[in-house]
Amino acid sequence: MGDIVVLLKAALNPEMVRSKPDGTLDQDAIPLKLSDIDRNAVEEAAKLKQKLGGKVIGIMVLTVGPVAKREKDLKMAVQEALAKGVDEAIVVADDKLTPGDQVQTARIIAEVIRNSGINPSIILASEATIDETTGQIPGRVAAKLGLPYISFARSIEVADGKIIAERDLEEELEKVEAELPVVVSVTQEINQPRPPTLIQIRRAARKPQKRLGADDVKQAIGTKRVILERRIVTINRKQQIIEGSNLEEIADKLIEILEKEGVIKL
Amino acid sequence: MKALIVAEYTRDALEGIKAAKTLATGNTILLVFGPASTEAENVSGLVDKVYTLPSRNPEAVYNALRKVYEDEKPDLILGVVSKNVKDSLSRLAGAYDLPMSTEVLEASIEDRSVKYKRGILSERAYSIEKAPMPAIILFNPRIFEPEEARPGGEVVKLEEGDTKVKQIGISKKQLSGVKLEEAEIVVGVGRGFKKKEDLKLAFELAELLGGQVGGSRPIAADFKWLPEDAWIGISGKRISPKLYIAIGISGAPQHMSAVMGSKVIVAVNKDKNAPIFKQADYGVVADLYQFLPILIKKIRERKG
Ligand SMILES: Cc1cc2nc3c(=O)[nH]c(=O)nc-3n(C[C@H](O)[C@H](O)[C@H](O)COP(=O)(O)OP(=O)(O)OC[C@H]3O[C@@H](n4cnc5c(N)ncnc54)[C@H](O)[C@@H]3O)c2cc1C
Repeated sequence: MGDIVVLLKAALNPEMVRSKPDGTLDQDAIPLKLSDIDRNAVEEAAKLKQKLGGKVIGIMVLTVGPVAKREKDLKMAVQEALAKGVDEAIVVADDKLTPGDQVQTARIIAEVIRNSGINPSIILASEATIDETTGQIPGRVAAKLGLPYISFARSIEVADGKIIAERDLEEELEKVEAELPVVVSVTQEINQPRPPTLIQIRRAARKPQKRLGADDVKQAIGTKRVILERRIVTINRKQQIIEGSNLEEIADKLIEILEKEGVIKL
Repeated sequence: MKALIVAEYTRDALEGIKAAKTLATGNTILLVFGPASTEAENVSGLVDKVYTLPSRNPEAVYNALRKVYEDEKPDLILGVVSKNVKDSLSRLAGAYDLPMSTEVLEASIEDRSVKYKRGILSERAYSIEKAPMPAIILFNPRIFEPEEARPGGEVVKLEEGDTKVKQIGISKKQLSGVKLEEAEIVVGVGRGFKKKEDLKLAFELAELLGGQVGGSRPIAADFKWLPEDAWIGISGKRISPKLYIAIGISGAPQHMSAVMGSKVIVAVNKDKNAPIFKQADYGVVADLYQFLPILIKKIRERKG
């Protein structure tokens, strides 16, 4: 088995959205975290390694800067991936590369894979991230590397240099087969990521990490997207907790409120 | 200006053509694959040329797209989001380093750029961005009214080349046909329910109120306690009922962004710190197993 590569993102955390008084997004105040479904990709990589051997290499490209301000979040995201099963992390972070876009990120990933002596049997990624959610990076990387691509995999089975996967389409489950190497994007349902053990967390700190900057990926520099404006969606809800001395009273109050709101008719 | 529209379903093709005509004047070329390819003739009168590919294998679509891209040199590649469309176009984007945007809400052309708006941060915010053409823009479904189909144009059949990924089986998902997006009252169930049988509490409540039952992603997609067309969220259905009652749902942004069109949101959750209470109009802090039977009983009494 060659290398098992996992694409990782330290993504803006949508549970901690912050805005400025004028409603524009205060992006600098929003922390990064390892994107949710990346955990499923790491878990799947760890399972594959257990069965087939090989080394799990994680590649993370920082897309939101400035690097100095994001260093702590970046470290946490990498540590989490290392604790959950990544053996070796390659982190690409440079102020010359932020803010990134998908054109540049995919070029960087492809260049890192080509130039870092990685010999991938499988490249795993998540179906979508929690911040941009466009789901286009794995397809781009596959095209750049000339590899077959299986998107939205709900299950995969690797044996004898071949992969059989179940693609989760809108109305069907499609079973497909391909020879390795291959790029696969996984859905949240593919597995249940296990929380790392204490030993795994301690070991993570000693696992190798390689840091690359713009000079290491010169051919890949250049974005096309320009961000003009970002604003938060304001949530105007009453946020009223219905209190009462017992559940009967609360139920009565709720029914009366909903009748008064005109949303139920009994 | 030349626009290339890519679609797997005829309805999406007709929306894509509408989008192309709204955005840009000039040539429109259509590439339909899979199910839509059999109906290419019916819509061919709306565009300058239709390419058809019977396969819906995204690799075959990508191979065909590369050829059409080289031959036609479109400025704008348009479509409506679906998984196979996203897959094949992300590869085209990678091959030519084209900017690509998905789940787009609105777009316009300015000089040699396309300006567009889309949700970010699991739709907790939106972003207005600009990208130079040629560019790929995939709209959310139902943003544009579909054009009326019209036959009579040129149809060109594309070759199905060989692919490295091969389909070895396909099975239909069990869907219920429930139209949550049209329901006036929706009862949403989450992981607070411990087993499938317990959902009968939610069904009973929904029935009493004349509503429908939907659920969070884990309930529908992972546990399969509900059919997938009852999946509510940014990767499932967007709903805007008069009343949404979320029970045992924590309030993750990927769920809540898709229910924000509701007039009134009620949350029932036993954790008083659950994020859903900040996004609801009325909250009940209680164990659903204790509260729902009481609520159901009270509604029954009132209905007489
Ligand atoms: C890219 C992406 C897309 C996604 N798309 C979607 C989507 O479309 N739809 C979606 O729903 N999710 C989506 N998710 C998943 C989402 O992030 C959450 O994981 C999911 O919504 C959580 O579901 P839940 O609220 O049912 O479960 P949990 O988060 O586990 O919440 C369960 C809640 O039940 C409460 N509870 C437990 N027991 C009881 C009880 N006895 N009585 C009352 N309350 C109780 C708990 O306090 C808790 O708040 C997506 C995630 C990603 C990363």
